[in-house]
Amino acid sequence: MATKPDTIYRAFDRKASAIVEFTLRQYRTKTSTWVVLGVGFTALALIFLIYIDVMGSEFESVDNDGDSTDYDNDGYPKGQELRLGTDPWDSESHPGLFDTPIEPDPISMYINEDGFDWDINSKIGSQTTGIDDDGDCLNSNKTDSQKDTDNNGIPCDIIVDFYRLSDGRIYSNVLADSGVDEDPDEDAYSREAIHMAFVLSIGKLGFVLLLGIFLPLFMATGLIRDEMSSGTMHFMLAKPIARSEVFLYRTLGYLGIVWPYVIVLGILGALVSGFAGSGDAFFRFADLGVWLAIIFATMMATLVYGMLFNALGVFWKYGIILAIPFAAWELGMALLSMGAPDAMLLRFSVIGWALMIVDAAAMLVWPNLDLFIVMGQWGGGGQGSGWDFDSSLEGSGPLDFFSSKPGLGLSAFTAMIVATLVMLFQAAILWFIGGAIFKGKEIQ
Amino acid sequence: MIPDFDQQGAAETKQWVPEVSAPAILLENVSKSYGRIFALSNITLALNGGVTGVLGMNGAGKSTLFNLLMGKLKPSQGSIKLFGTDPWKNPAPYARVGFVPEHEKMYDWMTGYGFVSTFARLNGLTRDEASVEANRVLEFVGLTDVAYKKIGQYSKGMRQRAKIAHALVNDPELIILDEPLQGCDPLARTTIMNLIRELGRMGRTVLVSSHILQEIERITEQIVILHQGRLLALGNLHSIRERLDKIPHRISIQAENPKELAKDVIDIDEVYGVSFPDGKNISIQTHNLGAIHSQLPRIIVDNNHKVSTIDNPDDDLASILGYLTSGGGM
Amino acid sequence: MTTSENTPPMAAAITPQPVEYAAETPVTGKVRLEAAWGSTEGDEDFTTTASSAPKPDGQVFKPQYKQWNGQLNPRWMRNWAILRHHLLGIFKKGHRPWGMPIRLYLLVVFIASLTDVGLTLVSALIGDSGLHSIWGVSRDNLYGHVLGFFPRNMLYYPVIAALLVGGVISEDRQHGTSALYFSRPITRFDYVGMKFLSVALIQGLIILVSLSLYYFAEIAAMGRGWAWIIDTLPMFLATVFSAVLLIFTYTSIGLSLSSVSKGKFFPGIALLSIILGTKILAFIVSNLFDREILYLISPYDCLAHVGQAIIGTQPTYDQYSWTWSLASLVAMNALALYVLTTRVSSMEVTRE
Repeated sequence: MATKPDTIYRAFDRKASAIVEFTLRQYRTKTSTWVVLGVGFTALALIFLIYIDVMGSEFESVDNDGDSTDYDNDGYPKGQELRLGTDPWDSESHPGLFDTPIEPDPISMYINEDGFDWDINSKIGSQTTGIDDDGDCLNSNKTDSQKDTDNNGIPCDIIVDFYRLSDGRIYSNVLADSGVDEDPDEDAYSREAIHMAFVLSIGKLGFVLLLGIFLPLFMATGLIRDEMSSGTMHFMLAKPIARSEVFLYRTLGYLGIVWPYVIVLGILGALVSGFAGSGDAFFRFADLGVWLAIIFATMMATLVYGMLFNALGVFWKYGIILAIPFAAWELGMALLSMGAPDAMLLRFSVIGWALMIVDAAAMLVWPNLDLFIVMGQWGGGGQGSGWDFDSSLEGSGPLDFFSSKPGLGLSAFTAMIVATLVMLFQAAILWFIGGAIFKGKEIQ
Repeated sequence: MIPDFDQQGAAETKQWVPEVSAPAILLENVSKSYGRIFALSNITLALNGGVTGVLGMNGAGKSTLFNLLMGKLKPSQGSIKLFGTDPWKNPAPYARVGFVPEHEKMYDWMTGYGFVSTFARLNGLTRDEASVEANRVLEFVGLTDVAYKKIGQYSKGMRQRAKIAHALVNDPELIILDEPLQGCDPLARTTIMNLIRELGRMGRTVLVSSHILQEIERITEQIVILHQGRLLALGNLHSIRERLDKIPHRISIQAENPKELAKDVIDIDEVYGVSFPDGKNISIQTHNLGAIHSQLPRIIVDNNHKVSTIDNPDDDLASILGYLTSGGGM
Repeated sequence: MTTSENTPPMAAAITPQPVEYAAETPVTGKVRLEAAWGSTEGDEDFTTTASSAPKPDGQVFKPQYKQWNGQLNPRWMRNWAILRHHLLGIFKKGHRPWGMPIRLYLLVVFIASLTDVGLTLVSALIGDSGLHSIWGVSRDNLYGHVLGFFPRNMLYYPVIAALLVGGVISEDRQHGTSALYFSRPITRFDYVGMKFLSVALIQGLIILVSLSLYYFAEIAAMGRGWAWIIDTLPMFLATVFSAVLLIFTYTSIGLSLSSVSKGKFFPGIALLSIILGTKILAFIVSNLFDREILYLISPYDCLAHVGQAIIGTQPTYDQYSWTWSLASLVAMNALALYVLTTRVSSMEVTRE
């Protein structure tokens, strides 16, 4: 047999590719495969459709500082009266009574008239930023101290302060001079925030969690067990092939159908969110990095879970009964990672590591994500530090919920590599355990 | 644990060298128990060359024996050697073994060719080599015509032959067939029996199990009888029976004129009794079956008797087992 | 059946004899037959050999049909036998085997769902009214006992439903054991109805019994009088009703999955992924886009919404009326039962 020297292709065109090919063809003949893949596709497509619908609709513009209202019913909005120095609360005082009467401005001029102009990075320490676009701080007839309510010596600016407390987490505080960036554009902000939150949530919960757990649960649990209970395993084991190899190649066959599926769905998601997403660009190329990470993390998750559930199936006839509580545990861990990405418990899960990859990629691709969240939570208004009711903009809440730091205090790039290595290690260990269990298994 | 990187089929122990002097199968004091039930107890057996029939009633331990040989089960006691190597946790010897499992379930969605060639590659053949080998064995078992049909559409006999083809594809020296004739119609039985005999003539070691003596008798004379997990007899089928001479055998003949035939038959020395269970049949009692069988045809022909059937009703497995367990035994 | 004079006498006199292989046994056709087939696999019963006159070249057996004159037990008695077979399997051997892990999980869930009973008793013992107001019977706690998501509708009830429906019909399809039922005077409706009822009753044993225990623990431990009972009985009954709705919905979805699939595990995982998967998807959408519409496809959320309405707790779904959820539940159940009945009525009695 081994007379000719083998090329790599010829070497693997033997046992490995035979079992992988066999497994793929076996999946193809099962109805349940198509049902599972079809249902997964439909569910995600449904969410994509809702996303497209939301992105296509207008986000309601809110006048955050209330200067578009004509309080005294003289036909002039508050903002115009303030700018021109008349009393916005007195109907007998308005620019129409000037020597050269001035026409009232359209109300829309005073909605979203002062958006965010933050050009800083999110880092520890306080930084000053912000420009008063509409001039209701700089050009108003306030005193200097009124223009500098945050007392840092710079009139009409915003202080963004990131600081670390003893619990190791980073908190932020925003102090703004009155009238600066006080009326941001809701549509621009919310569209962007909801877009990013969508990519993160669908990536973390839809792909990594749902696809990552349910595909292996449906497809990998029976990889060896079904064959063992139907008796067809005898055909394979009568050949000179080690059982741990059968275990590995069967799992590779399963990945051969799951990975392309995940990649196709991921590309679909990237296309949908790239074209329908916010921004002026025709296609959001930068997001591709996050989508790549989502696809990669899902692939790693399906690998580890596949090995695990396959091993559970080998271990026990009722392996699924062990797999179901485990899946519930992982669901809990996924929710925990949203709230407390540094929790120690997460290190004992699979999903914690997989989500770390997505978080790290989001941090690399959107470096100012934190700042963006802080911005939205502050939400304009420009009333200085006394601002105590919820002025946050739509979208900042979900974005804050679905995004988190990679954990372990690592930089994004390191976190990604560490998480990948850990998951590969988990897969290898599970292969080893599964193979060892299979090897010592008596088969009737 | 490490996968077989060169994929040549020697599995884990790559340097596996079969012992030339070792017999194909060697079992020493092998027992297999499930809790307190012994499926096999204290079997010692060595086989090399030729076709051997493993006989036993259901539950006698035939499948347990084969599963032990194929490394599916771990012996509770004793040692098993396949070409001098313990098969438990070591699939290396299977490069020289072909196994036909008893299970009916097959991959119904595969074609016969796909089934055989895919599993041939597990022996370390490339796709092209496997294709050549698969076509060869499919022709050998006579499935070339239907090679590209789904196994789900095969008849029982074709399915069994596909399983045999799967086992033969690596040109094995030892072939183990677990109940290959089960559920086949007579035509399929004959085909498969011829196949097995052919394998024996090719010098392979063949192990075939059945619970029907007549089937095994048509294939081979060398038998192993298992009963309730114990090795009851080993050797030539007829010599086993000759050892049971103390117990009378019966030959039943259906003839047109039983009375006349009885007169002639009683002249044979070895016959010690003749009876007429009904008007058509004659039952001869003897201690020496072989002698009767050698003389009976001549008597019938010489005296021009009209005989429709000659039957050894005691010749089946159940009666042999009855003799062996209740009578003098071994 | 009329017997004419031409009919040959039936050879019914052949009585079965023990088949032996000793030498003194007369050689009969029986032994010949035995020898020809050479096996004793249950074919050796010769009790009903009724044949026409034997001919030398073989015999042609004449079929002889006899009216059965026995009394068929009433339908409910046959159905009760099926139900009993499934129910008792939980407790002892000799009935439908449910598998040790499933029985163990049922026990664990039953004990775990008694936590609020225990806490009620504890708070009564301590006599702390503050603790009691947290743990004692209240609208919210009754709702939580049946419809709370974590842990009850994440780890307990859907999982037991999944484990129970697992093999109920699909294993019959896989192994061909449905023939055991369909070869007897049992209609398919009765067959599937009893399977449904037995699965639902086992869930009822856990959910409803623990709920009643909770309610009675409150009465016993706190010494509640009639006034309290009259006050709380409506919301208790509403909770019982929503529990029945929950059991019915999980069972009908689960059994319809069981009827379309082979094998034990697919229906179980599919039921879980339907309940938890739709919940997670709807959760994403409502959090992200502030649209609750997707909750309508989640069985759990529909149940919770209807339950909130009839038990009278603070609704957590406020973008549409609870009647929508009820309509969605009815639609889900109708679809599931439709699939179940069509699948069972067209089920082939064979091994697949």
